[in-house]
Amino acid sequence: MNYIEKLRTSEDMVTPGMSACQGCCGELVLRRILQISGKNTIVCVPPGCMSGAGVVGWDYQTGMKIPVHIPLLTNTASFLSGVSQMYQRKGRGDVNMIAVAGDGATADGGFQSLSGAAERNEKMLYVCYDNEGYMNTGFQRSSTTTKGSRTSTTPIGEAINGKQQPSKYVALIMSMHALQYCATASPSHMQDMVAKVERGLAESKKGFAFIHVIAPCPTGWSFEPDMSIQIAKKAVASNMFPLWEKYNGNYYITVENKKPIPVKEFLQSMGKYKSLTDDDIAQIQKEADTKYETLKKLASE
Amino acid sequence: MSKRVHISPLANEGMYILDTASWRTERPVMNKEKCIECGLCLTYCPVNAIIFDENKYKITYNYCKGCGICAVECPKKAIDMVPEGGGK
Ligand SMILES: Cc1ncc(C[n+]2csc(CCOP(=O)(O)OP(=O)(O)O)c2C)c(N)n1
Ligand code: SF4
Ligand code: SF4
Ligand code: SF4
Ligand SMILES: [Mg+2]
Repeated sequence: MNYIEKLRTSEDMVTPGMSACQGCCGELVLRRILQISGKNTIVCVPPGCMSGAGVVGWDYQTGMKIPVHIPLLTNTASFLSGVSQMYQRKGRGDVNMIAVAGDGATADGGFQSLSGAAERNEKMLYVCYDNEGYMNTGFQRSSTTTKGSRTSTTPIGEAINGKQQPSKYVALIMSMHALQYCATASPSHMQDMVAKVERGLAESKKGFAFIHVIAPCPTGWSFEPDMSIQIAKKAVASNMFPLWEKYNGNYYITVENKKPIPVKEFLQSMGKYKSLTDDDIAQIQKEADTKYETLKKLASE
Repeated sequence: MSKRVHISPLANEGMYILDTASWRTERPVMNKEKCIECGLCLTYCPVNAIIFDENKYKITYNYCKGCGICAVECPKKAIDMVPEGGGK
């Protein structure tokens, strides 16, 4: 069965009417992951756009067809570690343990619990949908926000011109743990993403699997909702978001980028980068090039 | 969808499946003469408003938010975004 056949025949686990904005890639990613994992799944969605948009609840009723927990912004991976351990003890290691968490809940507040769970090689699949900011509370900067990006806490003005620091490459940091599986994915490359979710789920039965997914956000990033997939495509095509995976200790680039487009094409397709100077763009270009070179070296070892 | 379906009680008022169809300013309309049944529109619809039924891809309008992603991603330009005008 190819990936399109899988997606068209699998059941949607999420409430149909959820309040994520038009064109939200977070919603797309959430639905696809849970379509692949199916009913035999427990999911953890910490505070953020995806839980806020209507997928969590209480009193035995939720916005999902499967059990969903809303942990704290800071403890998703440790919370799910406990659930996973208990299910194994009860002889139910077959149940998929999945976290779908924002970049804030992953790379900032939740980072110590995430790193701890990866180091202990806890059995789960942890997916970070990265919209590069705290979207649910009004687009504050996060550590994954790209340098020069306008956010509500790093505005464009006389004192500063958007975020002052480069983004933290959380996927590469996670891959340096001795974990079971680590990958990056983009909803624009759906076949690749579906394959990685399947592999991540299989590996999560043996240990910790982590997938970092780019999730363009029309509302925060300032672009038209119909452009979400185009923007994700450009992020991959410009090496702002290369697609790779690591398993059995080896790195693989899964979508080779022989002729990258200039990062400028990606940056200029949305409003949050509108005040970047030529120097800023040159620096972001250099960072993207270095990132891809580093990955190529890791993949050739 | 006028009936409010109770899915997720929060406090006394509760939380309901949202009528996201009411957000639409434009409606995606599929032109079956151009469509090659490739399924890309279905894979990219964030809402899962596109279904595969009787061997054909079809747009459903109960929850479609009118984002326009399907129209942009269709390789055959077989989906037009048409103003909602008088509503749904
Ligand atoms: C410790 C803590 N601080 C702040 C909040 C408020 N809060 C709720 S959601 C959210 C944003 C989370 O951002 P992210 O994880 O990136 O998810 P997104 O909203 O972008 O989808 C914040 C700051 C919280 N719930 N807990
Ligand atoms: S603010 Fe962005 S991430 Fe949040 S629901 Fe809207 S589009 Fe999605
Ligand atoms: S307009 Fe958006 S929500 Fe509606 S069918 Fe197309 S992709 Fe889905
Ligand atoms: S993407 Fe276009 S051609 Fe392909 S199934 Fe959808 S409408 Fe038809
Ligand atoms: Mg975020």
